[in-house]
Amino acid sequence: MPRPRYVVSESWSIARSSPRQTAAAITLIALALYIPGLLALLSRNLGRLAASNPGEPAALVITLQPGADARAVASRLATDGRIRLIRIVGSEAALERFRRAYPDLGAALAELKEAPFPPSLEVALRAGAPKGAAAEIAAAARLWPGVESVESEEEFSRRFRDAVALVRNAGLFLGGLLTLAAVLSVASAVRLALDLHREEVGIMRLMGATEAAIRAPFWLYAMAEGLLGGSVALGLLYATYRLATYWLARDPHPVLSLFWVAFVSPATAILMPAAGAAAGLAGSLLSLGRRHTQRVTRIG
Amino acid sequence: MIQLYGVSKRYGPFRDALLDVSFRVEPGEFVFLTGPSGAGKSTLLRLLFFEEPPTAGQILVNGRNIGVLPPSQVPYLRRTIGVVFQDFKLIARKTVFENISFVQNVLGLPRAEQKRRAYHVLKRVGLHHQMNAFPDELSGGEQQRVAIARAIVNEPTLLLADEPTGNLDPVLSEEIMRLFVEINIRGTTVVVATHDLEMIRRMGKRTLTLERGRLHDPDRIRENAPIVREAPFLPVT
Repeated sequence: MPRPRYVVSESWSIARSSPRQTAAAITLIALALYIPGLLALLSRNLGRLAASNPGEPAALVITLQPGADARAVASRLATDGRIRLIRIVGSEAALERFRRAYPDLGAALAELKEAPFPPSLEVALRAGAPKGAAAEIAAAARLWPGVESVESEEEFSRRFRDAVALVRNAGLFLGGLLTLAAVLSVASAVRLALDLHREEVGIMRLMGATEAAIRAPFWLYAMAEGLLGGSVALGLLYATYRLATYWLARDPHPVLSLFWVAFVSPATAILMPAAGAAAGLAGSLLSLGRRHTQRVTRIG
Repeated sequence: MIQLYGVSKRYGPFRDALLDVSFRVEPGEFVFLTGPSGAGKSTLLRLLFFEEPPTAGQILVNGRNIGVLPPSQVPYLRRTIGVVFQDFKLIARKTVFENISFVQNVLGLPRAEQKRRAYHVLKRVGLHHQMNAFPDELSGGEQQRVAIARAIVNEPTLLLADEPTGNLDPVLSEEIMRLFVEINIRGTTVVVATHDLEMIRRMGKRTLTLERGRLHDPDRIRENAPIVREAPFLPVT
C-alpha cells in the first residue's frame, strides 16, 4: 500500500493542477446536497409540529349550526361508550382562544361586533378506543340535525403526516437525483484530472507503481472534493436557517413562526459531508475504471 | 538473465510485429538490439518489460516466466528492471530528486535515505548539483542522464534502453553510452535498442538484429566490427 504522506501530497498536487475543475465539482456537490438538505430541514420542522401535542387532544371537532342545541348533541354523543370527554366550546370561548393564539391580531379582533366562530364540540376518545372509531363517530354525527360539519383529527393528522412524508420523500428523491448528478460531475472532474496527468500515470506505472499507488491520490482527491462540497452545503443550510429565524423573529408569520424552531438533526448534519465524500468516492471509482488508467502506459 | 523461445507478437489479425524470436542474454552481458524502424525493437522491449504479453512463445526475465506472472506482481518485478527511453519520460512538475526517488517515496522510505540514494546515483551521472532543478531547466543530455539515474537508483539487475541517444547529438550520445558501459561494468545486464550502427561498431558488443520482426543474422555486426571487447571510453568520474 502507498504511504499516506505520498497519497496526500499527490492529491494536493492533482487539485492544484486543475483548480477550476476542482472548484466546479465542489460547487456542484454543494448544490446537489443543499437542496435535499433544505427539504430535510422543512420536513423536520413540519414533523415537530405534527408531533407536538399541547393540552388535551380532541379526536373530533363537531361544528354546529347557529342556534343549534349544543347540549342536546353532547347528550347524544355521551351515549357512545368509546367517548371519554365532550367539551362544548361556545362562540365567545372560540374567539378568546384565537386571541390568545394570535395576540398580534388583537386590535383587528377587538373591532368585531359579534363572534365569528360558530359553537363547536370537541370530543376525546377513550385510550382503548379501536382504530377508526373517530371516523365512525364522525360519519354518524354528520347526519344529525344541528351539525354543520365534523372534522376528525385522525383524518387531519393523517393528511398532515402525509404532507410531511411527501416533503421528506421529495427531499429523498431530489437528493438521490442530485447526488447522482454530483457523482457524475466528480467522475468527469477526476477523468479530466487523469487526462491532465495521463503521461505521469504512464511513467509512474513504468517505474513500478502499483495500481493502488496510482489510484489512491485520485480517490483521496475526489473524496476531499465531496467532503468539502458537503461541508459547504451544510454551511449554506445553516446560514439559510439562521437567516429565516432572524427574518421570522423580526416579522412573525402566523404559520411559519409556529413551526420554524429547529435546525436539522445532528445525524443529518453529519450525513451531508459524509454523503459528499461518498459521492466523491463513487465518482472516482466510476472514472478510474481499469480501461481509463491502463491506456496510458505504452513505452516509446 | 533473458531467455526467449519462439516468441511472436501479432497486432490485429494480420500485423506480425515479432515472428519466432529466440535468444538468450547472459547475466552481466551488454547487448545491442538493432534494426530499421518498424523492425520490432520497441515491441521486443515492451515484452521484456511486461507491458504486453507475447502472442506465442515463452519469455523468461530474471528467471520468471512472463506468461504466468500475475498482473499484480508486474509492478514489483518492474522495480528490478531499469528502463531508459528516447524521450526521457521525466515528470515535468517534479524536481530531479522527486523524479528519481518516486518509487522510494511511494514505499515510504525515509526522506534522508531517499536523498542519500538520489545523490549517489546523480553523482554517478555527474548531476549531483542539479537535485532540485526541474527537467525543463536541463539540457537534453542532462535529462537523459537523470533518466538513467532514475533507472539505476533501485540497483536493477537488468537495464533496458529504447533508443536512448535518439534525441541527442553525437557527443552527448557517446557520453550516455559511456554511462551504460560503466553501469554494465558494475554488473548490470544492459540491453540497448538503437539503429545507430556506427555506435554499435565502435562499441563492439554483441548485437541482435531484427528485420521485419525476425531475428536476423545475430552475429553479423560483431564479426564485421573491429575487435574491441571493452568500452573504448574513459570511465565517468
